[in-house]
Amino acid sequence: MPETHAVRLEDAPMATDRAAGWAYVRSGGAVFRSGDVWYLTSLESVQFAHRHPEVFSSRAIQDLMGIPVPMIPLSIDPPNHLRFRKVLDPLFAPRVINRMEDSLRSQVRELISAFAGNGSCDAVADLARLYPTQVFLTMFGMPVEHRDMYLGWVETLVGSTGTGPTEEMMVAGMELFGYLGEFIADKRANPADDLLSQIIAIDGDEAWTNDELLGMCFLFTLAGLDTVTGAIGFTLYHLARDPELRQRLIDDPSLIGSAIEEILRLESVAPNTPRITNQDVEVCGVTIPAESIVMLCLGTANYDEARFADAATINIDDPDRGHLAFGGGIHRCLGSHLARRELRLVVEEFHRLIPDYSIAPDVQPEVAWPSGTLHLTALPLVFPRTEV
Amino acid sequence: MKRLVIDTELCTGHARCVTLAPELFTDDESGYGHVIGDVEFTDELRSSARRAISACPERAISLVDD
Repeated sequence: MPETHAVRLEDAPMATDRAAGWAYVRSGGAVFRSGDVWYLTSLESVQFAHRHPEVFSSRAIQDLMGIPVPMIPLSIDPPNHLRFRKVLDPLFAPRVINRMEDSLRSQVRELISAFAGNGSCDAVADLARLYPTQVFLTMFGMPVEHRDMYLGWVETLVGSTGTGPTEEMMVAGMELFGYLGEFIADKRANPADDLLSQIIAIDGDEAWTNDELLGMCFLFTLAGLDTVTGAIGFTLYHLARDPELRQRLIDDPSLIGSAIEEILRLESVAPNTPRITNQDVEVCGVTIPAESIVMLCLGTANYDEARFADAATINIDDPDRGHLAFGGGIHRCLGSHLARRELRLVVEEFHRLIPDYSIAPDVQPEVAWPSGTLHLTALPLVFPRTEV
Repeated sequence: MKRLVIDTELCTGHARCVTLAPELFTDDESGYGHVIGDVEFTDELRSSARRAISACPERAISLVDD
């Protein structure tokens, strides 16, 4: 075995500057071991793992989280993986998101209108945490009135920075499972025009079991809400700090997409995705033994100078450089098209109502670290009051 | 003559090509990009093509000689 490297993920100086945090992690090398875990930090090494799911198994996700149902489709390896993605990909495809755009826009407009007259807001508490959950509940056909209850469970489950599940997390997990189980049973009895009903309607050999439906709902809840919250917070954070960039987007809204891509690249919200090796494998000249836990570090890969010149800078004039914020390979984030649309609509609608904003004086927004997902804990903004 | 090719073994449906160069790529119902076949490949479209090639996270798109 090679020597355990001194770089420890939890020591990364991440709180106020992810560029510094990921530079620290990259200092361990393109491929290194720290404690019992291997880290792939270069874009080349991460892409290699993405292209070899037969070697880098996603059952790690199941094993590490200790959840009693399969996390469909993220923890499933080929060939079974395809069975789920061929159902789910069309349900989250860009043309489906296009049809949702008006509803998505009016939802975010309503949330921003609620505080536009106040002259200040916490963009995380008042917008970033509410919007993705509302969208999820609507899409799955769950009552939007349950938003705050739902958020309570999610934030307890993903909010831990300690090791191992706490009593509080166990309770939240049980309650969420109970809620989802009842919800699925109700959808079976009373199908409607929503995403879950469409999956339940599949019959014969291709029908999904209750555990598969439950696992999918559970995964989407844990992977699809807090991450978008993080991305909305980081987007408004960077735009609030950079009036020149913001003005360019206001003058030419067709640049919004480019700015979002760059912020996604620099602020990975789900920066480390775990795998387990099925066999010994050589990556960038380093041999990783079979049955090793390997973290694919999307956060560092997106700062790889070999691919991204001046990697730590937002460059909307050269934004199309193929980042891995949504992962890659067969497990490419299913919600990527929805997330990108939500982010664009947030910026468009925020600028329509609140074009001039800055971070509240003497506030330094921070992320909690270590953490599986990254998001600003708060983003207090100040702006001229807008009558809505 | 040059033409665009998507390596379907590598494409996993990020659909960046469709967003950035809709005159050259179209998406199917699963969101996977496909090269539009009968496009006359002008110099103007060449820069769109380069943008799509560069933006593909999977490096799945290339420009090949016919």
